[in-house]
Amino acid sequence: MLKRDYAFACIVALTLVLAMRLNVCSALDQSEAQAAVANADGGLASAYGAVAEAEQAGGNVTQLVASLRVAGGLLDDAHDAYRIGDYDRAYSSASNCSSEALGIASQAASLKVQAEQASSNALFFTVTLSSVVLSVFFVLSLLGWRYLKNRYEKRVLGLRPELR
Amino acid sequence: MNLGDYRLLYVLTCIGLALIIVSPTLAMFVRLPGSESFSELWILGPGHMAEDYPFNVGANETYKVYLGVGNHMGGSEYYVVYVKLRNQTESLPDNLNKTPSSLPTLFEYRFFVRDQETDEREVLFSFDGASFDGNTSSVQTLTLDGLSVDVNECAAWDQTNSGFYYQLFFELWLYNATTSGFQFHNRFVGLWLNVTKT
Repeated sequence: MLKRDYAFACIVALTLVLAMRLNVCSALDQSEAQAAVANADGGLASAYGAVAEAEQAGGNVTQLVASLRVAGGLLDDAHDAYRIGDYDRAYSSASNCSSEALGIASQAASLKVQAEQASSNALFFTVTLSSVVLSVFFVLSLLGWRYLKNRYEKRVLGLRPELR
Repeated sequence: MNLGDYRLLYVLTCIGLALIIVSPTLAMFVRLPGSESFSELWILGPGHMAEDYPFNVGANETYKVYLGVGNHMGGSEYYVVYVKLRNQTESLPDNLNKTPSSLPTLFEYRFFVRDQETDEREVLFSFDGASFDGNTSSVQTLTLDGLSVDVNECAAWDQTNSGFYYQLFFELWLYNATTSGFQFHNRFVGLWLNVTKT
């Protein structure tokens, strides 16, 4: 009994998988491909925006720009395939581009946070160091002025004519 | 020099030294104006030089050029290059009004370029289904990097230059984050091609 139930469950699962597979393999219509390409367009633009923000925050975006190029190639392919009416290829390339773009946007967002943190730390360190050095310099300059003033006065007093 | 002169000289020297001390901090806040921002777009011949460009092109033969984009805009930029085909009478982009050609896009290339960097692509193209009838010729298909698109473009015989001339040209568009769309960047390059029977 248990074996029969198991076999039945396997057949149902196999049928479902095949049905899904057939659905994926079936020719997509124009509107689906168009929606996927538009979605990929928006996704890649968002990913680029996130990378640009990370770069402005001071992050090293070399790797992310390389990933954007890969995703851009997929979107080129999606647009070109859509233009010639190959909607399956357009949909597939656009979907791959969208998932690449999502990954890039996520990495760019975390890079931006890291870069902002590093920038904030660098700013704090520089301001603190400058303040300390400036304070020491201010005190030294006052002492220096006092020394120079005394020396000047002694020199001037030394030049004063005396009556014998 | 009296004491007042000495004091003035001393104070000025101290101010100069103090500015040097705080300059790293100032540099983090003060942004100096950068140089002029612009982009580059170019085509190179098959030898990766500005020579030996395809000119007399036979039907069903593949030709190679390199398409490049350079970025001097002050940050990473997102470009798209639209590939279009025209004959001698059809419209080119208008540099004065900064408007693109009204002809349909046949192919597109996306470029993500960091500031002060360039990116280059190999472009393979061929014309298929060329036919000649007296003073007119027509090309049915343009294949770019292995992908074919119907163009159905016609050209009349050019008596002055003795040929049927088509121009394959590339328009540079730049992504504008404010409008969330691409804008024509007022740059284009093209190749004049004399399509021949062989």
